[in-house]
Amino acid sequence: MILHHPSTEMLAEYASGALPMSHNLCVATHLEHCPTCQHEYARLNQVGAALFDSLAADSGTPNPDEQALKDRIFQQLDSVAPIAVSAKPASTQNGIPKALRQWIPENYDQLSWFRLTPAFRLVTLLKDRDGAQIALSRVKPGGRMGHHRHTGTELTVVLKGAFSDDSGLYKKGDFVVRDARHRHRPVVTRDAECICLMVTAAPIQFTGRLTRWLNPLLRWQHG
Amino acid sequence: MPTKQPDNEHTAQSLLADIHAVANQRDRDAFSRLYDHFSPRIRSFSLKAMPGANLVADEIVQEVMIKLWQKAATYNPNTAALSTWIFSMARNARIDYQRKHGRHLSDIDPETIFSDLEDESADPFLSAQAKNSQQVIQQGLKALPSDQTQVLAKIYLEGKSHQEASEELGLPLGTVKSRVRLALQRLSVLIKK
Repeated sequence: MILHHPSTEMLAEYASGALPMSHNLCVATHLEHCPTCQHEYARLNQVGAALFDSLAADSGTPNPDEQALKDRIFQQLDSVAPIAVSAKPASTQNGIPKALRQWIPENYDQLSWFRLTPAFRLVTLLKDRDGAQIALSRVKPGGRMGHHRHTGTELTVVLKGAFSDDSGLYKKGDFVVRDARHRHRPVVTRDAECICLMVTAAPIQFTGRLTRWLNPLLRWQHG
Repeated sequence: MPTKQPDNEHTAQSLLADIHAVANQRDRDAFSRLYDHFSPRIRSFSLKAMPGANLVADEIVQEVMIKLWQKAATYNPNTAALSTWIFSMARNARIDYQRKHGRHLSDIDPETIFSDLEDESADPFLSAQAKNSQQVIQQGLKALPSDQTQVLAKIYLEGKSHQEASEELGLPLGTVKSRVRLALQRLSVLIKK
């Protein structure tokens, strides 16, 4: 049972195409796990479609080259092969969400994890063009991630296992947003390792006395 | 207006027949009618987000219409209305343009993020629900107060974030958020509390 969802505002911005791609990635990953949000997303799309439909009446910008464009498009039709219904791939394969399979085709073990502490590993999937860092964290059962602070908004989606911090318990599929003021210390539950998708505007910073030395390492790996 | 509804219904039915003719017979006349119906909307949708960018609008019209020609056979009327299918293709094409050329630069391909509607399973119960919620939304939109329609249009048609909508309308962010939330409640979109 998923308890932590993206906000309505975020889901609406996902449906309308106003979010940065790295945030879209997190929402899409959550949607794969959450029938309630899928349902809400389908309705948000219907709102978009209804507004889209109403555009014809007020499209006061007729295109002078309309016929030329139409002709150009018709000329291309012969060279475009039709796409038939594709066999639907299983929505999760080895537990890897569809949205992440371009980086993780088979399993989490195939990634080059970077060991930060004996319990905590990290791998960067993409440093995006807008500066967003898309990474996975992997913490052993009962392991701690260390006190850290975010330099910007951080989105987390739990992919496997569970963790808790001072605000609550987060399980598979849960969606968590933390902002720059937040300083937290997640602990993974003892029964299983925990893998999370993390998207930050900039690398996270450790603030604990013992883990502060990790920052330059993280910047090197992540930045 | 009592005569409006059957009219819309008629248009929807004939567009549906056209998309099947494109899927099954590669019917160019049917494609031409779909083109005439949807291309002004796609064009206007692109211009709302990028005013004055006429060449970009042409590009997006072309991209969506070619995709429609190509993927007509994958469209499933039980999972989504045709206009919802086209809207999501137009939105994806607009996002794809913007992530390559400006706003929200990104190396992530939107095609991998926005799962195709036709991939979703056609559960008869869900499809009945979808038809129902679509009617509620279409009817409800006409009855919304104009201040709520205004923010919805900023967000959906112009592709603005709540923050940007608040700046452009000169309204506090909280007001924008609550108007969107009220509108979505009225349209019965919200499922969670």
